[in-house]
Amino acid sequence: MQVPLTHGVKAEKLPEQMPDHQPSPAEIVNESMSRVDAKEELLDECESIWKQMEECQSKLTLLGTETLPESDAKLSLLMMRVKALTAEYNLWQKRSPEIISTNPDVLVALGKEELQKVKNDLEMVLSTVQSKNKKLREDLKREQQWHDEQLQIVDVLSGIEEEMKNQVVQFSEKRAFQELKNKMLKLRTYKEELLNALGEFLEEHFPLPEEDGSAKKKKKNSSEEPAVELITLHEILEILINKLMSTPHEPYLTISDSFWPPYIELLLRYGIALRHPEDPNRIRLEAFHQ
Amino acid sequence: MAAVRPFGKLPALNSAALLLVGSDEGAQQQLAEAILKEKKSFKISIHLATSLPLPSERDHLRPRIDLIAFMIDIKSKYSLKNVEASLAHVDASFFLGKVCFLVTGVGRVNYCSVETNAVWKLRDVYCSPVLYCELELEGIRVATAQRLLRMLQICAGHVPGVSALSFGSLMRNSEDEQP
Repeated sequence: MQVPLTHGVKAEKLPEQMPDHQPSPAEIVNESMSRVDAKEELLDECESIWKQMEECQSKLTLLGTETLPESDAKLSLLMMRVKALTAEYNLWQKRSPEIISTNPDVLVALGKEELQKVKNDLEMVLSTVQSKNKKLREDLKREQQWHDEQLQIVDVLSGIEEEMKNQVVQFSEKRAFQELKNKMLKLRTYKEELLNALGEFLEEHFPLPEEDGSAKKKKKNSSEEPAVELITLHEILEILINKLMSTPHEPYLTISDSFWPPYIELLLRYGIALRHPEDPNRIRLEAFHQ
Repeated sequence: MAAVRPFGKLPALNSAALLLVGSDEGAQQQLAEAILKEKKSFKISIHLATSLPLPSERDHLRPRIDLIAFMIDIKSKYSLKNVEASLAHVDASFFLGKVCFLVTGVGRVNYCSVETNAVWKLRDVYCSPVLYCELELEGIRVATAQRLLRMLQICAGHVPGVSALSFGSLMRNSEDEQP
């Protein structure tokens, strides 16, 4: 129930320049009062206040209506607000708190009511705060749990990362090295095999000419005795290959007497060796690898 | 035609009157019912109107209006125009804290046709608070009803020490974080 008489009721002396102050309606709701004269006292006060209100009302009705102008509505409204707020402010400055009634019954009843209200409000606040606390605690617990799980995940992941890092590094270095070595080995053995096969083939099919007449019969220019020791085709090829590989800018080789001419002809005819374009005494190996 | 005046009549004892002005009558009805359901310590009468000025035939039956709430539906530009037209018929002293704007339908963001700028212009020019609500949601409807009830209580003078003007200024200052 409403508080019956409050400070607002006392400030009924309306100044002229404050048309907007609103008097709080006076009301009695204190039915629990036992003392009749106390009741009467309150009733009389209410009556006087109501009369004051009627006076103010009559003054107000004389003011008439005014609506805001279309243009510059804000300015005029703000001016009105300034006036009203100043008037209210002045009123508050002048006021001082007054006891509504010296009657103890009234005071006791009022006091009880106020305290009851305060008690209810505080209880509401208490329950709100408690439920909020509970919720916060639950939230905290949940967040803590989540945080712990996340830490665990981080630990596990970093462990896995460490392992993987080590493995990867070791593997790549060692393995690459191993692979290169193997490749080299394979190539070397292949090279040996090829050279051996070449040597065998050459020895079988292109031997050194015999010192008997059958070999000589084959040749035309065998006027001179082979004073120089002939070297095998295998050796000629070896020399040619080495010359080409070691000095690619100068692959030409002067034909020496130790080369058996028919073999030279053989090499030239089949395109394995090439003559120097200007000097017929120099040959080189055809660059099959380029 | 009678323009509404804040202090044109004497107040009734322990009661207050609220005037809802808006083009959406269904929403008005909903809100009025929600307000009436709330626990209150004074008698309340809610008047619904689609536009101002109010017809003058029943003027003597109407109590003193303590709070005017203009309802703007954010989905219809017509409601905004209606409210703007009605504002011209309101007595200037109402704007000292006894007027508030209620913007409804803010839950449906896809269907906004009233721009926020227009609403803020209203707030600035008429120096009155703007409440946003979505009346289709039960919880928000109840909360809005409680807010309006509290404002009505203050505007009717039932709260000692707080006048409608000071309360209006308080509400405005707390909203001024927006540009």
